[in-house]
Amino acid sequence: MKYCLIFFFLIPLSTLPQSSFDFHSPENIKKFADHLFCQGDYLRAVEEYESIKNSNLNDTIDFKIMLCYSEIGLYQMSNLSEVRLSKSIFKKEAECLSLKNRFKASPNSFYKISEIKVYPFSKEDRLTLNYFQKLTSVSFLLGSNELISKDEIINPFDGYEKKTMLSFYEMKVNPACKSPALAGVFSAVIPGSGKMYVGEWGDGITALLATSLLAFLAYDNFRADHKTRAWIFTGLGAFFYAGNVYGSIAAAQIFNARINFEFSEGINLFLEQKNYFMPEYDFCN
Amino acid sequence: MTSVTKIFIVIIFILSGAIRIFSQDSFQQQFDLAKKLFDEENYFDAVTEFKRLLFFDDTGKYSYEANKLIGLSYKQGAKFSDAIHYFSLAENNASTEDEVFESKIEIIKVNILRRTISRALTLLDDLRIDKRFNNRMDDINYWSGWAYIFADEWEKASTSFNDHNPELSALCDSVNGDFYNVTLAKTLSIIPGVGQFYTGEYVSGLISIGWNVLWGYLTINAFAEDRVFDGIMVGTLLWWRFYSGNLQNAEKFAQQKNLEKTNSALRYLQNNYIGSKP
Repeated sequence: MKYCLIFFFLIPLSTLPQSSFDFHSPENIKKFADHLFCQGDYLRAVEEYESIKNSNLNDTIDFKIMLCYSEIGLYQMSNLSEVRLSKSIFKKEAECLSLKNRFKASPNSFYKISEIKVYPFSKEDRLTLNYFQKLTSVSFLLGSNELISKDEIINPFDGYEKKTMLSFYEMKVNPACKSPALAGVFSAVIPGSGKMYVGEWGDGITALLATSLLAFLAYDNFRADHKTRAWIFTGLGAFFYAGNVYGSIAAAQIFNARINFEFSEGINLFLEQKNYFMPEYDFCN
Repeated sequence: MTSVTKIFIVIIFILSGAIRIFSQDSFQQQFDLAKKLFDEENYFDAVTEFKRLLFFDDTGKYSYEANKLIGLSYKQGAKFSDAIHYFSLAENNASTEDEVFESKIEIIKVNILRRTISRALTLLDDLRIDKRFNNRMDDINYWSGWAYIFADEWEKASTSFNDHNPELSALCDSVNGDFYNVTLAKTLSIIPGVGQFYTGEYVSGLISIGWNVLWGYLTINAFAEDRVFDGIMVGTLLWWRFYSGNLQNAEKFAQQKNLEKTNSALRYLQNNYIGSKP
């Protein structure tokens, strides 16, 4: 009987390891951090990984920390992991991610690294070198600097990427921009023609008709000796004329700004689609 | 039974009881910790701790409450899509009809806040035809009233609040009564400037009268002197331009003043109304 009683009371004791739960043990923090990472909650994930960094750091966690910081836009923090990973199996990935971070931090001036000729990786590493060359090419296209040759821009790429980069290169070299000065001169000679040159045909025709009518009304009233009305129409005509010249210059500038914006947006969309040419890492399946 | 054995059994009994209490408490403690952070308005950490609890809690005991509080935390941080996601999870894990209703109402409140009013009204209509919630019609009408307020439909809002909330109903009637009639403002402007006078924009009204009198005079004068071409040009290019501008102006003033009244009423509700708000 007494053994039965002891056995009866020992049953709950055996459940101790299952039900007493330490949420903040390093193993559980890691499990939870992995869960957050896979959910895309990088801000919380990196906080959890950082909390076990001292006790439970390994290369995978360190690389995930680097990825998390990169995803939330803290590029300098992300690159701190690169040194630690320089002797790990993630060496190449960390180098590429570090380059991606540098590119995302300042895409328009990333190409300057190649000008200094001091590369932040070993030049014998062909994969990283190719990755670096790809980002440098894109940076040249995004920047306002003098462009390097077509071959240098497209050579790091293959297949579909090469074709796309070639079209971006053509758009950069021969942009569909309009000259603001020319638009202004056109409108000064024939009112509205500057607007038509920019492609705003409706506005151009309206400006031509309105300015011509006001000029005619002014002329007609001067001829009929209605000086007050004639001066009113002259003033209005001059106002329309000057406004049209100014409007044509502004329309050309707006047109060019739109072309440049669409060009940059196109490149950014291409980069997002290609994940900045980075390989995909599947830590979640 | 010897006394040693008895003592041994008692110790084991006490130990096992303590262990059971402790094991139950570890999840409860985690919930309490997260709830404390939520109550302290530390919403970021509250979400982290609730997510930690949900990740490790296989029993689903806290699924409803934790998901709901995560939703409320995200709502406080104006992350409305995340908030709706977690309120939906709370709804899926609700064990009573009241919990389902509360989750649905929270989703509706977030839709009101993020101005997806048509979605909020659709969800309210779904609740209205759901027989489980026949006894919650007052709540449904109350939140319909708030949805109409944010849709700038104060008359419908007043009808929704009606007898159950005379304070809000009276406020909505008052706001609705204060609005300028946009159509009337535009119609009055057939006589230039009168629409502007109606909306209290006297200077603008006088300027409008001045321009229309000037160009009207020049147009009529041109026709009177048989200068038909001049008359057509001044009439179409100038007089008509200023006359149609006068009509648009009166309409714009009425809309602008109504918007100011709406914003003022919303500010009053935000700062002074004590009852439940979205």
